[in-house]
Amino acid sequence: MLVLTRKSEEAFRIGDDITVTVLGIRGNQVQIGISAPPEVRIYRGEIYEKIKAENIVSSGLTKDDFSKILEKVK
Amino acid sequence: MVAFETSRFGPIEVQENRIIRFPVGLLGFPRLNRYVLLDYKDTPLKWLQAVEDPDVAFIVTDPKTIAGEGTITLGDDVVRFLQLERDEDLAVLLMLRVDGDKVVANFNGPLAINSNRMVGVQAVVERA
Repeated sequence: MLVLTRKSEEAFRIGDDITVTVLGIRGNQVQIGISAPPEVRIYRGEIYEKIKAENIVSSGLTKDDFSKILEKVK
Repeated sequence: MVAFETSRFGPIEVQENRIIRFPVGLLGFPRLNRYVLLDYKDTPLKWLQAVEDPDVAFIVTDPKTIAGEGTITLGDDVVRFLQLERDEDLAVLLMLRVDGDKVVANFNGPLAINSNRMVGVQAVVERA
């Protein structure tokens, strides 16, 4: 992992299109601004992991699971 | 026509215009970029089958099928990503799965599709 140290209001660039700016630091919270093109999707790490885990479970359901779900939503 | 193999439904052949592109994939599946929505047994549920992986298919439904869960709010980032011009082009699908005896809908990660451009993205909804 690349580790950079930045002060408040300093930025770094990821490639040509993405800028990440440290907007402010308060206690143990850091406020970060990200400028990126619309095709770059940005997520909080923990929600990304949660949805990814749900997707992986959801990707492998069977026809039996389909019938079970159908019973419940009918 | 596009022909591909699926593990649940055998070989499938669909018109090219039925392919929904997910340019950045779904979370955890960044390299699966083409899906087809399959009706199944005349039910309100559908399968969203990956064209590029026979084993990957999601059970999805219109959110209206599931009663009483309020509205889903999509961010401007989703609208921009889909290059959505008209509201009526937007289709939203929720993934469903079983968890023991319960059915769980993934309200955090609804699928948003521009049905005019046939492009989709998994939105990330952080509910308060």
